[in-house]
Amino acid sequence: MVRLVFGLAACAAAALAFTGCAGVEPWDRDVLARPDMQIVSDPLEAATDEHIYFSKEASSGGQGFGGGGCGCN
Amino acid sequence: MQLKDPKPTARGTLGASLTVATCALLGQTVPGEVMAQELMPWDVDTSLLIYSESDGRVSDTSLNVRARKEMREDKFLDLTLAFDSLTGASPSGAVPAGNIQTFTSPSGNSQYTVAAGEPALDTSFLDTRTALSAAWEMPLSRLTLLSVGASLSDEYDYEHTGLNARVAHDFNDRNTTLSFGVALANDTISPVGGSPIPLAPMLGLGDYRNKGGDGSKDVTDFLLGVTQVLNRHTIVQFNYSLSQSDGYLTDPYKILSVVDPVTGVPVAGPPGSGLSLYVFENRPATRDKQSLYGLVKRDFGGNVLEASYRYMTDDWAVDSHTLELRYRWNFGTEKYFQPHVRFYQQTAAEFYRTVLFNNAPLPSYATADYRLGEFDGLTVGVKYGQATARGGEWSARVEYYTQTGTPAPGSAVGALASYDLYPDLNALIAQFTYKFGKR
Repeated sequence: MVRLVFGLAACAAAALAFTGCAGVEPWDRDVLARPDMQIVSDPLEAATDEHIYFSKEASSGGQGFGGGGCGCN
Repeated sequence: MQLKDPKPTARGTLGASLTVATCALLGQTVPGEVMAQELMPWDVDTSLLIYSESDGRVSDTSLNVRARKEMREDKFLDLTLAFDSLTGASPSGAVPAGNIQTFTSPSGNSQYTVAAGEPALDTSFLDTRTALSAAWEMPLSRLTLLSVGASLSDEYDYEHTGLNARVAHDFNDRNTTLSFGVALANDTISPVGGSPIPLAPMLGLGDYRNKGGDGSKDVTDFLLGVTQVLNRHTIVQFNYSLSQSDGYLTDPYKILSVVDPVTGVPVAGPPGSGLSLYVFENRPATRDKQSLYGLVKRDFGGNVLEASYRYMTDDWAVDSHTLELRYRWNFGTEKYFQPHVRFYQQTAAEFYRTVLFNNAPLPSYATADYRLGEFDGLTVGVKYGQATARGGEWSARVEYYTQTGTPAPGSAVGALASYDLYPDLNALIAQFTYKFGKR
C-alpha cells in the first residue's frame, strides 16, 4: 500500500509538472487525432504481443494489465 | 408542371462544409450525424497469429477477434475473443545427461525418453485455450471516462476469471490525462492427477504418491498513468504499476535434475522407479511486481516513431529492462511499412537453479524454469499494412524472437560442462490482421 501511495504521488507530481506544458489547442490536433498516433494504435497486435512475452519472460504489464489468464507461465 | 428539388446553392454547400470542418476541429459531432452515428455497425478486427519455436518446441496458432461498438452516445462495448491451439515440446527443467533419460509424464500415466546429450523436452505438451473479455466504457462527466471489464479464460488444466476497472480524467485543456486502474483475478490450475508435492521426487509409472490437490492464486493489479500532449506532433505516457500475486505460483510441470556435485551425473531416483532423481520445483506463494513504463509517440512529417521503455522489479529478485522501437512509414494514407525492434534483459530469480546437487541441503524454493533465469531477448520484425476499398485495413507482420540465457553460476560441473545448459530459444512470429471497413 505504501508503494501504491508512492506511485500515486509520483504520478500526481508528473501530472502537475505537465500542467506547465503549453499544450495544444483543439483545432491543432489533426495529427494527434490520426489512428496511427493513438497510444495503442493496434490493440490486437498489442494483446497478442503481451500474451507471447508474458508466456516466455518473467515480466508482464507496464502499459496495461499484465497478460493474465494463462497457465503458460 | 414538374416540381424539382431546389439545387443546393454554393452558399449552402459552403456553409455545410464549414460546419463539418468546424465540428471536426473541435472534436464535436455534426448535429445531423447523430442518428447516423447511432446506427454505425460494429468495428471488427480479426487476426491469425502463428508462433513457432525451432527445435520442435512450442507452437501456437491463435485466432483473435475484437469487436467494438458505440451502443449509445459516447458509451462503448468492447468484446474480445481469443482461441489458441498449442502443440510441441516444452523444456522440463532437467539437464542433458550422458545416457538416455526416462521421465514420467506430469499425469503419472505415461513415460517419455530423451536421448543422451539432448535437451530434456517434455513432449506431452498439448493444450487449447479460449479467452473472452468484455469491457464497457462510458463518460462519468465531460472530462472523466470510466471503463469496467471482465475476463474469462479456459484451458485443459487452467481457468481464469478477472474483473477490472479504470478511470481516466482529462484536465489542462485535455492535454493531460490521469488514469487509475485496478484488476482482480482468480486463477485455478488443475493438473491431471493433481499438483505435485513441492520438491518431491518424480516417481515411476502409475505411482501417484507425490501428487497433491489443485492450486489457485489471486492476482491484484494497480495501474497509475499520466498521458501528456507535449506539442502538435508528440504525445507521451508514463505508468506505474503494481502486481501482487498470492497462492499457487509454482509450475506443476517443471522439474530439476539432482546431480553429483563432482561428476555432474544424475543420481539414482527413488528405489524401484527406474528413474534418475528429479524433483518438482517450488516457488514462493507470493510475488510483488512493480514496473515503470514510458512511451513517446512522435510524428515526423506523416511518419510515426514510437519508443517505449519498461523497468520491472519484483521480490523474487527479477529485474528487467524492455526497450521497444517502431517506425511507421506512411505512403500516402493507404499504405505503411513498419520495422520493429525490441530489446529485453532480465536477471534470474533468486531461487533459480540449473541443477540441484546431491547431498546438499534442499533449498526451500527452487526452479529450473528458463523463464526465471538470466537471459537477453531480442525481437526484430517488419509489418506492412494497406487500406481496403471498404474503409478497413489488412496488415501482415513477421518477427523473429530469440532468447540467449546464462545458466546459474557454478552449474557446469563435471560432465555438465560439455552440454548447453541454457539452449537458445528461437521463435518465428507471423500475424495477419484484417480490420473490417464500415462502407
